[in-house]
Amino acid sequence: MTEGTEAGASVSAGRRLNRRDFLKMSGAGLAGAALLGSTACGGGSSGSGDLIFSMGTDTSGTLQGLVDKFNKQSKDFKVQYREMPTDSGAYFDKLRTQFQAGGGDIDVIGADVIWPAQFAANGWLLDVTDKFPKSDQSQFLPGPIQTLMYEGKIYGVPWFTDAGLLYYRADLLEKSGYSEPPKTWSELEEMGLKTAKDQGIDNGFVFQGDQYEGGVCNGCEYIWTNGGNILDPADPSKVVIDSPEAAAGLATEQGIVEDGIAPQSVATYTETETDPAFLGNKAVFARNWPYMYALAGTKDYPDVKPEQIGVAPLPLAEGQTQLASALGGWNMLINAQSDMQDEAWEFVKFMTSEQSQRQRALSASLLPTRPSLYQDSEIRNTLPVVVQGEEALKNARSRPVSPYYSDMSLEMQEQFNGVVNGDTSPEDAVKALQQSLTQIVEAGS
Amino acid sequence: MTSSDRENVSSVRSAEKTRRGGWFREEFGNPERRLAYYMILPALLIILIIAFFPIMYSVVLSVTDSTVTASGSFVGVENYVEMFKNPDFLEGLKNTVIFTVASVTLEFVLGLGIALAINRAFRGRGLVRAAVLVPWAFPTVISAVMWRLMFQDQIGVIDAVANGLGIISEPILSDSTLLLIGCILVDTWKTTPFMALLLLAGLQTIPGEVYEAARVDGANVMQRFFRITMPLLKGTILVAVLFRTLDAYRVYDLFWVLSGQQLESLSTFVFKAVRISQLLFAQGNAASIFVFVSSFLIALVFIKVFGMQTSTEE
Repeated sequence: MTEGTEAGASVSAGRRLNRRDFLKMSGAGLAGAALLGSTACGGGSSGSGDLIFSMGTDTSGTLQGLVDKFNKQSKDFKVQYREMPTDSGAYFDKLRTQFQAGGGDIDVIGADVIWPAQFAANGWLLDVTDKFPKSDQSQFLPGPIQTLMYEGKIYGVPWFTDAGLLYYRADLLEKSGYSEPPKTWSELEEMGLKTAKDQGIDNGFVFQGDQYEGGVCNGCEYIWTNGGNILDPADPSKVVIDSPEAAAGLATEQGIVEDGIAPQSVATYTETETDPAFLGNKAVFARNWPYMYALAGTKDYPDVKPEQIGVAPLPLAEGQTQLASALGGWNMLINAQSDMQDEAWEFVKFMTSEQSQRQRALSASLLPTRPSLYQDSEIRNTLPVVVQGEEALKNARSRPVSPYYSDMSLEMQEQFNGVVNGDTSPEDAVKALQQSLTQIVEAGS
Repeated sequence: MTSSDRENVSSVRSAEKTRRGGWFREEFGNPERRLAYYMILPALLIILIIAFFPIMYSVVLSVTDSTVTASGSFVGVENYVEMFKNPDFLEGLKNTVIFTVASVTLEFVLGLGIALAINRAFRGRGLVRAAVLVPWAFPTVISAVMWRLMFQDQIGVIDAVANGLGIISEPILSDSTLLLIGCILVDTWKTTPFMALLLLAGLQTIPGEVYEAARVDGANVMQRFFRITMPLLKGTILVAVLFRTLDAYRVYDLFWVLSGQQLESLSTFVFKAVRISQLLFAQGNAASIFVFVSSFLIALVFIKVFGMQTSTEE
């Protein structure tokens, strides 16, 4: 189908162009290709002495500023920022291709928290255990540190963090007679139903139940807040998802949809659908990442103002005390093949320093990985979500750490999505996952 | 001696050689033929490198336990056996077969109807012919996004109407059966015009006199359709249906985008296994070989069983 369409388009374009235009165009194309080729070569020769640092597109525009600042004070070498795809999956794919082809020329990698084990298992990352001793590690939040550990070694430094939060409409809850956000999932169900009905809002609660990585984060949160686990925290080679607690967690997730607190369509929701639902005055509660707070009251979402919103840790099951939410965020890693490892470490130290993290928090709303910054009064004033979501951020947990995480994720995506849209019972889902995850863990050992 | 004489002599000689030396001598003993082979050699090499090498390499990968990062050892047909035990693959195979049969059947019936309708002379025929092509001209990804929005539960018009009429009781996008039906209908919407256009081209090659003669002999509409139109259109129908069958069998973009990656087809399975998963890499290669071989068999069935003509030679 596509081939046909493309051929058709080029035929009609060809007919409209005369020969001279065509020559001009192809000339420009050639020149462009030559230009691209030459820049690619320039980047390729790391003999130029520049350190190459890769990261997805920076929409805030503050990343280049920070790199420039480093370059100004650095005498021996300069850092080049290489822009990568915003989509984390596409970025991962690109890095993997480069590593497979023999390491590539990137020295420092800005990396998603789910990547370190997958890269480290292939020997692609520099082991920084000596440079980054336990005493230094303790100045970072434990969750992000955990994502960098693989077989007892550490492979990078946490850069900025992210965690699942419960957003609530403080104004609506107040009108319905509630003064506090829910502490348990059953409270959330009750408050969501009543408030939605009283205040004429479409939905009690929205979250991300689509078949994708975000669906895995949501599913894990239901399991954790019910006291269950995917892998045994004491021995990560043991899969423990087939437990009554984990099944109860998924049953909570399914129940929220079946009882009509969340619409059936959350089975197709990602963050993109969550924002307009909650900020478009269509939901009382929402589960989302910290970024959504900054969108409230902007020109895209004028209906709900920041002062109408509250943020809290995710609710727990009855009788549970350990808060939990899924950990997101980014780390800085060093390519094992880099011939500028000391310089790379210097740059990583600069980027993850208190000062740089503070600057990024204030200018780009990216949450710091150093707990000391959560006491910083300027950050607390600029980012109210830090104050309200502090507990959740400090209790964020990493998803299973495995060299085959991509495979684990595919399995969890499918089962968790099946639970949300009612095709799979929670018991069947945890049984199926126990089996498939065990197979994956065994393949990895 | 003129050049044509020389040719005659050499062809006589080569014929003699055939008797003595066989095919190879005949082909290469003749200087002109030899030159021809030298001339097409570069093209053959290029085809060998860019077409056969990747295919053969996939075949090799599919019988080893390779991963994305390391080439493995020979394991025979184990990947194929595992593949047929994989519920995701079976789901993809089932969906692909249902999708292919249903959408091609619908497209053929509707396409033939449209072709017959616009084959007659009427006012504004050119405009109608252009207009029916509009859905086909959209890139599949764009129409998939467009239809996904219409199927969506919060703002989607189709979901709202279908729910209002009581045809369905749940959101279309979170039910896998409804999703598959949706994909079939969207594909029918999109490619019926293509089918209609191919069939129309076939209809126009049937001379009008045949119909006139039949009418004089007293054949009614049905007789004319089944005794004249269908037999004379057979070649065109086979080509059109084969094209669409192979196209539908490889469906990827429509499923991936319309269902938000929730509906599995053979091609989405291959993509997930080869590009996302790290453990299913070899199995994904096996699946891609399966798609390749089964497409080939489908084409063979059309040519051998239905007697499709592959060239214009009689």
